[in-house]
Formats: sequence, C-alpha cells, structure tokens
Amino acid sequence: MSKVIVVTSGKGGVGKTTSSAAISAGLAMRGHKTVVIDFDVGLRNLDMIMGCERRVVFDFINVIQGDAKLKQALIKDRRLENLYVLPTSQTRDKDALTKEGVKAVLDELREEFDYIVCDSPAGIERGAHLAMYYADEAVVVTNPEVSSVRDSDRVLGLLNSKTFLAEKGDGSAVKAQLLLTRFDAQRSAAGEMMSVQDVLEILAIPLLGIIPESTSVLKASNEGQPVILDDTSGAGKAYVDAVGRLIGEQIEMRVNAGEQKRGFFQRLLGRTA
Amino acid sequence: MRAREPGRTSVQDFNPTATSQVATVKPLQIRGRFLTAVALHLAGRADHGFFDALDDKLRQTPLFFENAPLVIDLEQAHGLETTQEMQRLVAELRGRNLSVFGIQSGNRNQAAAAAAAGLIALPSGKAVSADRVTRTERPGAAAQAAIPEKETPAPASKLITQPVRSGQTVFADRGDLVIVGSVSSGAEVIATGNIHIYGRLRGRALAGVNGDTSARIFCHALDAELLAIAGLYLTSENLGADTPRDNVQAFLEGEKLRVESLK
Repeated sequence: MSKVIVVTSGKGGVGKTTSSAAISAGLAMRGHKTVVIDFDVGLRNLDMIMGCERRVVFDFINVIQGDAKLKQALIKDRRLENLYVLPTSQTRDKDALTKEGVKAVLDELREEFDYIVCDSPAGIERGAHLAMYYADEAVVVTNPEVSSVRDSDRVLGLLNSKTFLAEKGDGSAVKAQLLLTRFDAQRSAAGEMMSVQDVLEILAIPLLGIIPESTSVLKASNEGQPVILDDTSGAGKAYVDAVGRLIGEQIEMRVNAGEQKRGFFQRLLGRTA
Repeated sequence: MRAREPGRTSVQDFNPTATSQVATVKPLQIRGRFLTAVALHLAGRADHGFFDALDDKLRQTPLFFENAPLVIDLEQAHGLETTQEMQRLVAELRGRNLSVFGIQSGNRNQAAAAAAAGLIALPSGKAVSADRVTRTERPGAAAQAAIPEKETPAPASKLITQPVRSGQTVFADRGDLVIVGSVSSGAEVIATGNIHIYGRLRGRALAGVNGDTSARIFCHALDAELLAIAGLYLTSENLGADTPRDNVQAFLEGEKLRVESLK
C-alpha cells in the first residue's frame, strides 16, 4: 500500500526541500521504492538539491498537461536504486497545477511506488494546497522560532480541513508529524530559541525528529547531495532517525544526534561551526 | 438595559398596524391537529332498543365516554334521513353527556340531515376495536393529547475536540462553545453564549457576541490576544501582569471586563 507524504511548513526557508530530499533518499536507502515530487512550480529547487538538474527534460507540468508520459519525466537517482525525482517546471506558475491533473499523476505513481514524497512550496496558496490535498501523511517542518511555529499551526489547520481525507467526512485525517529543523540545543538552553517543549505544546502533534543546525546541510545542498547521505553529519544522522520513525520504528529521540564531541581545544576556542 | 435591546423597541415603533401595546401578537394562527374520537355504530333504527343498550353501556363504563369526542357511524343504520330524526338523536345523546360532533359512512340524505342538525359529515375512518380503546383511553388522556408538543430546538452548543489552529474561526451561533484543546495564536473562537476552553487560550475569544452580558469565558490557561464579552474587550496588552493566568474566568461586572481565578 503506497503512501503519499507531504513535506510542508507554511513559512519559507525552514528546510522543506532539504527535508524532502533527505527523507526520500532515506526511504530509498531502506529499500522502499520512492519518488519525490517538486510542487514548487516556477521556483524549481529540488532537482538541484538532488543533483539532477542537468538531467531534466520533461517535468511534472508536462505530465499533467499530457505533453509527456510519466516515465519520460521521472529521473532515476544515480546513487540510490529505488529513488526517483519528478522535477517541476521553472517557466510556468502554480496555475498550471490542477486538482484532476495532480490526482491522475499521483494515482499512476501509487501503482508503482511505496512512498510518494511531495515537496510543498511555501505559503498556503494553490501550490501548497495541491501538494497537501491528496496526502496520507504530513511532515510539518518547523524552525524553533515563533513565526515558523505560527505558520505551521496554520498549515495544520488546513491539513485538518482542506485535504481529500478531511473532506471525505468519515473521520479520517492526514497524519501530521513535526520535524523540528535548524535546532541549536545551546541557544535553546540559553533561551535564545524556543525549546522543543514550547513548540510541541503549541502544535500538539507527535515529534518525528529534531534536526540540528549544521554546516553540512548547506555544503550538501551546494554539492547536490541529500544530507542524509553524509554519515559524518549530525543533521544527516538525525534524518536517518526521523525516517526510521516515519516508517514506524521506535527510535529514541536524541538532540544533536551523533554530533561529534568537540575536543578540549575546540571547546576552549568556542564554537567552530 | 433597555438601550441594549433596540430590536424590541424598533418593532413597536415601525409597525404600521400597531394600535395597542400588544400589536406584535398575531390575530390568528392556523395549525393542523389530530384527535382521537369514539365512533358509535348505530345498527338499525335509533329506537328504544338502541337507547336502552346505550344506557346499559354507559352504566358499565361511566368514564369511557367522558369528554370524548363522538362520531355516529351510520353504515348499518336505518332512517335518520330527516332533520327532525337527526336532531332528536343528537339531543338524546347530548342529554347523556356525549359530545357528538359528526357522522360518518352516512348516505347523502343522512349527511344533509346531519348538516342541518349541526353535525359534520366525515369520511369513513378505520375503526379500532373498542376493547383497545378502553385499554388505552384514560380519563383526561384526550385532553392531554390536545396540548401541542413544544418544538425542541436542536442542541445549540458546540463541542470541538481538536486544537483550534492559527487562522481558524470557530463560531457557536446559538449557544456555548466548548473546546477540548488549545486555541492557537491567530485563531478566533466566538460564541453567543459562554466559551469553555480546556487548554491554553492563545488566540482571541469573544463570548456573548449577541449582547449577552452574562456570558463568560473559562479557560485552563490564559495567554489570550483578546478577550471580549458582549462587545467589551481587553487585549493582551491591557491584561495586567497581576492578572491570574491559570484556571481563570472572564466576566462582565457592570461595564468592566474582569479576569479572576477559579478557586
């Protein structure tokens, strides 16, 4: 039974695309056949994070409009056997997305893939709405700061009311989980950042994972490598744990999971990162 | 308080047919209703034999016919085709305290005679065995049934068991609003009655929006952007530092919105 998972947040710049890339790669690493779809029509980014921008010929919009077959638009990842990318158009805008078109593409993908990860654009307008509309589960990406938390709260309200499952009216709902990104345990402890408890108290949804703020994320993005493939990165390890929880494993929550302990001199010199 | 009820005064002021203080009462109303009647089957003629049998029956069950509307069934009756005959029968029955008001199953002449005698001719109805009637009919039962049932309004309060998220508005337009969960910053909960929040209130809560000054807001934890009752409001800035924050109620005291802890 395939699952459609939307990665969404409301606010921009919190790490939706980074998380979409990492989660889809993580699912593929575990042997699940996975496709990640870029819903940010007009601001195509996912292909760059996934390192396949030079291989885009046809895109999601071409498929929706019937100009290309789904097989022609899907790009097979070179590193992971089970991973495919469905890029979007850089020249069109969100109006090119239609509910029927999105449904047709998702239905076709459901026949072949175990997991379909939808990378939502920022905002709550058409692109974001259609990205979440047919989702079975949602990963709500939130930074530990008040504006991001409020936007995530708004998105949770939309997930509960403006999705296919919610509109069915039989009590089914999109299962939403929180992915707290760019978390800095020291700044949080110092009160400069919201604590995990503060965010959870406001959003009142299960915690999928805590991704520490890490320089490796930017480095991985520039290299076109999902950060989850970097096994020296604390962020990468945290994503591995989060993916495990996403598929139902019980994994203990660690803040700054696996981050290298800093040596004596590094501590003397303060934060190097 | 009168100034808070502009609706009532304006109806009197602008009603063109207003001739007295009770001008807003309608002169008549038409409602349908059903009633249970007793059918008296008359076999043969309305002669001594019939009246003797009737008196016998009345002695056996004196309460059975009391207050019960009565219809004469003429299917097996003979005669009674003239007004005099019909009037005599009615007089005899009423003399026995029977509330006869109509006939059924009569022929055309009988119907005409009944009309002249002040009875109405009903279409023939389904007869129910008298035993069953005796069992179910009790003195006063007909009178009780005559009281029209009050229309019970649908439950007017609203229950929300999920958190109210930023950007959502929940409106209980005919009563209380009960929320099991928190109300997020940027969310609005509105009720014409009271608002109960079993969680933290971070958004806006507006109770008694139709002007009910007795409405209150109750919440487990108060962190509201705005509290309003019957149009009088306080924003988070106006809520002083000494305002209680846990297990509180907000209510109107005169023209002042107060927040107090629930002891």
